[in-house]
Amino acid sequence: MKAQRDEFLDKLFEEAVNDSSIILISVDMGAPALDRWRSDLPNQFFSAGISEQNAINVASGLASQNKKVFVYMMACWVARCFEQIRYSCAMSGNKITIIGNGVGLGYAPAGPAHEPTEDIAYMRSLLGLEIISPASALQIPSLVEYLLNEPRLTYVRLERNVPELIDKIVADKGPLFVSNFRTNPYVFHKSIESRKIDVTIFSSGYMLDRSVKCADKLSGENLNAQVIDVCKVTSLNTEDFENLIVDTDYVVTIEEQTIAGGFGSAILEVLSEIKLIPVLRIGIDDRYIFENGTRESLLNENGLSIETISNRIKAFAQSF
Amino acid sequence: MGNAPENALVKLETEARQVRLEITKFKTRTGIGHLASALSVVDILVSLYLDPESSFDPNSDKLFFGKAHGGPAVYPILAKLNFFPLAELDRYCTPNGILRLHPDSTIPGCEFVGGSLGNAIGFAAGVAWANRNINCVVVLGDAELYEGSVWESLLFIAHHDLINLQIIIDRNEMGTIGKTEDLLKLEPLDEKFTSFGFDTVRIDGHNYKQLRSALNRSSKSPKVTIANTIKGKGISYMEGRYEYHVIIPKSQNDISKALEELT
Repeated sequence: MKAQRDEFLDKLFEEAVNDSSIILISVDMGAPALDRWRSDLPNQFFSAGISEQNAINVASGLASQNKKVFVYMMACWVARCFEQIRYSCAMSGNKITIIGNGVGLGYAPAGPAHEPTEDIAYMRSLLGLEIISPASALQIPSLVEYLLNEPRLTYVRLERNVPELIDKIVADKGPLFVSNFRTNPYVFHKSIESRKIDVTIFSSGYMLDRSVKCADKLSGENLNAQVIDVCKVTSLNTEDFENLIVDTDYVVTIEEQTIAGGFGSAILEVLSEIKLIPVLRIGIDDRYIFENGTRESLLNENGLSIETISNRIKAFAQSF
Repeated sequence: MGNAPENALVKLETEARQVRLEITKFKTRTGIGHLASALSVVDILVSLYLDPESSFDPNSDKLFFGKAHGGPAVYPILAKLNFFPLAELDRYCTPNGILRLHPDSTIPGCEFVGGSLGNAIGFAAGVAWANRNINCVVVLGDAELYEGSVWESLLFIAHHDLINLQIIIDRNEMGTIGKTEDLLKLEPLDEKFTSFGFDTVRIDGHNYKQLRSALNRSSKSPKVTIANTIKGKGISYMEGRYEYHVIIPKSQNDISKALEELT
């Protein structure tokens, strides 16, 4: 399986060959998929250097001249150009796509400077910005088509790598599912078929793996669970969610983010407009993680082990 | 006769006096905005927009305000050029008016959105990169140069050789709370820009002959013009006094004196 960023840049390249208005700006980021951008499309690709503020400002200027602009940077640095995204893009109506690579603890053990664990919270505060968090690289080609066909200010949160289970779950949905991102922004997993659902778990991106494992574990312990991966974290549709939580007693959100204002909060907000339902938000511990370790081990040690998540969900369900 | 261009320069000074008068009227009437910062940049704008020898075409070229708090200086000029009715000046910063404290692209003749320093230059660089046939002018405040994003953009403009973009620095030597050279040194600015790859000149930003020559010079490199100006220019008691950055004369005496000096 190709990395999400290579899948993205390759698909975008294919489109750019026939559409000279597509411009890719790299903020000093490399990728194997960038090589042919540099050699074959020199007028549609440039490096902005390690200059996030200028990259976004230039991108906004290009967008104002009807260019379809994609700015590729490490996800952690969107905080560094937050003002430019707010001012030069959101406020000014300049629609660009920011490709943020390496969300959550994806760069572990690089340390918290490289590991954005609050980016959903601060980015979703921007008006008119859409956040998209694909779980699998299989979703990327249709996502790129979606972005080109329906341009808006978008922050795409790419995973550096994901557990195999995630790609398998998405692959099992079939080619029709992965070929239309617009109509398929949710990935479903039911741990037990044809029985009432006690718990619906909402997750996004990398957490789909742990969410599914938790759901399977809980379902084996008489707490029937389903998982819904939410790719589009913003503009959550109340009608969709009304259907998604039908026949569910409890909702749990799981995110590789600290929970203040993040993914779980977004779900909580949309549910609050539908009906009163108990919601448990589970995220990474409220701390910047400096310890060495792999992404998996750091998640285990900071509140997101399958054991910890499962126990919290069980305790939550028993409290009613 | 050879002195026709010279007569035009004198005419520009008269135009500038009228522009300063209009700005001072709508600023003192509302008490909103940054009068001193607008007054320092007036001659730069008059030279660009109203000098018959200017290469800047207000209808097809684009001016981007970095120091958008001084941007209302362009309103009387745009009104004169029929971008909007003169009566809009009377409605500056009122609910029924289209003119705001910071110019933005909803106002005819204005580009981008105003109010956040250090960003217009990068935005303009994007516009200039996409359209090499559009002349882009960026007016930066000198204190705006403290924003690191400006220097990121300067690297970009020089590297991509965006000769259709020129930068004018309104060098009034002041920030909000004092002189730049006392607070945090900016000089030597000429050497900084030159070392970045810009064709750099420094002029008297109130001298129309020098403005004409600098703003319309041709060059093989992107241009920076450092225009030495006086903050509060035209109102004697405001000139060169940083205290007036956010203060607009309020007393009838002060207002009358200001209007008298500009009439």
